[in-house]
Amino acid sequence: MQTRDSIHSPLTVWLTLVVATGITFFAGEFEGSGPAGRWLVVGVLALALFKGSLVALHFMELRHAPAVWRWSVLGWLWVVVLGIAGAYLKGAA
Amino acid sequence: MSRSHSSSSAAALPLPAALQGDIAVWIFLLAELLAFGVFFLAYAFARARNPALFDAAQAGLDRQSGLINTLLLVSSSALVAHAVAVVRRGGSDAARRAAGALLGAIACALGFIVVKGSEYAAHFAAGMELSSSTFSMFYLCLTGFHFFHVVLGLAVLAVLWRQTVAGVYRLGDVNGLESGAAYWHMVDLVWLVLFPLVYLMH
Amino acid sequence: MQYASQAVAKPYFVAAIGLFVGQIIFGLIMGLQYVIGDFLFPAIPFNVARMVHTNLLIVWLLFGFMGAAYYLVPEESETELWSPKLAIVLFWVFLAAGVLTVIGYLAVPYATLAKLTGNDLLETMGREFLEQPLPTKLGIVVVALAFLFNITMTVLKGRKTVISSVLLLGLWGLAIFFLFAFYNPVNVVLDKMFWWYVVHLWVEGVWELILGAMLAFVLIKITGVDREVIEKWLYVIITLTLVTGLLGTGHHYFWIGTPEYWQWIGSVFSALEPIPFFALTVFAFNMVNRRRREHPNKAATLWALGTGVMSFLGAGVWGFLHTLAPVNYYTHGSQITAAHGHMAFYGAYVMVNLTMISYAMPLLRGRQANSEKSQVLEMWSFWLMTVSMVFITLFLTAAGILQIWLQRIASDPQPFMVVQDQVALFYWMREWSGVIFLAGLLAYLASFFVGGKPAEARAS
Repeated sequence: MQTRDSIHSPLTVWLTLVVATGITFFAGEFEGSGPAGRWLVVGVLALALFKGSLVALHFMELRHAPAVWRWSVLGWLWVVVLGIAGAYLKGAA
Repeated sequence: MSRSHSSSSAAALPLPAALQGDIAVWIFLLAELLAFGVFFLAYAFARARNPALFDAAQAGLDRQSGLINTLLLVSSSALVAHAVAVVRRGGSDAARRAAGALLGAIACALGFIVVKGSEYAAHFAAGMELSSSTFSMFYLCLTGFHFFHVVLGLAVLAVLWRQTVAGVYRLGDVNGLESGAAYWHMVDLVWLVLFPLVYLMH
Repeated sequence: MQYASQAVAKPYFVAAIGLFVGQIIFGLIMGLQYVIGDFLFPAIPFNVARMVHTNLLIVWLLFGFMGAAYYLVPEESETELWSPKLAIVLFWVFLAAGVLTVIGYLAVPYATLAKLTGNDLLETMGREFLEQPLPTKLGIVVVALAFLFNITMTVLKGRKTVISSVLLLGLWGLAIFFLFAFYNPVNVVLDKMFWWYVVHLWVEGVWELILGAMLAFVLIKITGVDREVIEKWLYVIITLTLVTGLLGTGHHYFWIGTPEYWQWIGSVFSALEPIPFFALTVFAFNMVNRRRREHPNKAATLWALGTGVMSFLGAGVWGFLHTLAPVNYYTHGSQITAAHGHMAFYGAYVMVNLTMISYAMPLLRGRQANSEKSQVLEMWSFWLMTVSMVFITLFLTAAGILQIWLQRIASDPQPFMVVQDQVALFYWMREWSGVIFLAGLLAYLASFFVGGKPAEARAS
C-alpha cells in the first residue's frame, strides 16, 4: 500500500544520511588550515544541520506534528549550529 | 495521540497534525536537547578561547570510530522508524517484522557501546582524565553524558522489543512505541551535532 | 476525611504552624540585629538567633511533610494507616527533641552544649543547619525511620499510586541523605562537599519530589482532573528535577577547593534547574483551568497556584541569577544568596505545606472547606505573606548588588563591615517587610478561629 510517505521512507532517509555522513567524514579528514579549512568546517556544520533536520522531520515525524514542536526542535538545531559556527569563526579570526 | 489508519483505501487521507508519542515525553526531550545544546555551545566558546589546545588534543581522537558510531546510530534510528511504520500499517506479521527491526536497532546500539567503550579504554590507558585539560573535561563530559543516554536508550529499546513481541503495540495503540522511538531519535540527533563538533571541527 | 487514622495529621500540622511562628519571631530578632548590632546581646547573640531561626524552619517543614504524608497516604492507598498510635508517639518524641534542642541553643553557650551532649564521641556539631547536638540528630534518624516504616507499611498493604510512590521516594531520600550529617571529615574541602549531600540533595533534590507529590494530590482533589493526566505531569516534573538537580550539586563546588571542571558541570546543569519549577507552575495552572468541579476551598487553590509561581520565582529565577560560575564568583556568600534562600524556601516548601494544611485542615475538622469569612481572611494572609516576602527578597537583592559592587568590583574595594553600614537602609526596609509578614502569619492563625457556615460546592 502506498502512502504519501513512501518517498521519505526510512530507507531513503537512511541512504541520504549515510551519504551525508560519508561526505562529512572525508571533509573532516582534510588537513588544511586557512580559509579553505574554515569553509570546510562551515560545510561540515551545514551538513550536520541538514542531517539533523532529516532525523527531526522524518524519523521523529515532526513534519506531521503541530508547528510549535517542529519549530522547537528545528529552532534548537539552528541556534546550536549557528552558535557553534559563530564561536568557531570568532576563534579562528 | 496515535493516528487513525485506514487499511482499505489506496489513497492516503491527509493525516491530522499529531505528535509522535506522548507529550510528556516530548517535554522531557526538549529539556534534554536544551541540556545538550547548552553543553555544545559551552564547548564551542571554550574552544574559541584556545583553539590551538583544542586542535592538538582533538588530534588524539579516533575519527574512524566516530564515523562507525555515526553510521551505527543512524542505522539504528532508521530501523526504529521502520519498526514504527510496520506496526502502524498493521497486518498479521507486523509484530514479528517490527520486533526484528528493533532487534537490529538494539544490535547497532550495542555496537556503539562497544566502539565507544574501546575508545574510552584507550583514552584512560593513555592517562586521560577530567582534569587533564579543558578539552578532556568537555570531551569526557559531553561524550559521557551522551553515552549514558545511549545506555538508557538501549534499555528503552529492549522494553519496546519485549512489548512488540508480546503484541502490545497494534493498530491505534502505538503511543508507547512512538514515545520510545522519539527518545531514541533524540539520542541520534544529538550525536549528529556532537560528532562533527568534537571530532572534526578544527 | 475518608479514613479515621488520617486524624493523626492534625497535631503535626498544629505543631508545624506553632514552630513557624517561632521561626518568624527569631527572624525578626535577627533582622533587627542587622541594624542594631547589640540588640538582645548577650542574652541572644546573632549566631544563636540564626540557629534557632533556621533549625525551626527545617523542623516545622518536616512536621508539615509528616502530617501531609499521614493525611494523603491512607487516602491514596485506600487503607488505614498501619499504626496511628506510633504516629502519635513519634509526634511527641519529635516535638520534645525539637523544643529541648532550641532550649539548649538559647540556654547555654554552644561549646557547653557540645560538651554536655557528647560531641566528643562523634563530632557532628558546628555546621550550618546541622548544629543539632548528637542526641537530637540520632533522635531525628529514629523518628524518621519509624515514620517511614509506618508510611511504607501502609502503602504496601494498600493501593500503590504514582503519588504515594513519588512521595515515598522523596521521603526515603530525605532520610538517607540526612545520614551524611553524621559524616564530618577533617578535610575542609571534603567537609563542604558532603555537607551539600544533605542540603542540596534535600532542597534541590528529594524535597522537590515530596513537593510534587503533595501538590499533585491537592490538585487531584480540588480540580477533579483525571488522575492519569496529573500523574503523567508528576513523572515529567520529577524526571526534570533529578536530571538537573543531581549534577546541579556542582554549583556548590565552584570555590571550595574541588577541581575546576565542577565550574562547568555545575553551571550547565544548575542553569536548567528552573525548568522543573516552570513545569510545576504550568502544571498547576493547567489543571485548575481544566478543572471538572468547583471545589469550595478557594483558599487551597490559591495556595496551590501560588506555590508554583513563587517557587519558580524564588528557587528558579533567583537561583538562576547567581548560579553561573562567572557570576557566582562575585555574588558568592552575599545578600543575593540570602534573597534567593528566603524566597525559594518560602515559595517552594513553606507554601506547599500551607497548601496541604489549607486543604486538609477543614476536612480534619469535619467540613469540606472553611466558611467564606475564614477563607477570605486566609487569602488575605496569603497575599500579606507572599507580597511581603517579595519585598524582603527585592530589598536583599538590592543590598546584595550594592554589597558586591562596593566590596568586590569597585576599583577601591571596601571592607565587609564598612559596606554593611552603607546598605543598612535596605536592612531596615527588609525588617519592616518582615513585620508585615508576621502580620500575615497572625492573620493566617486567626483564620483558623473564624467560624461561620462552611462553604459548599456550587453546582457547576
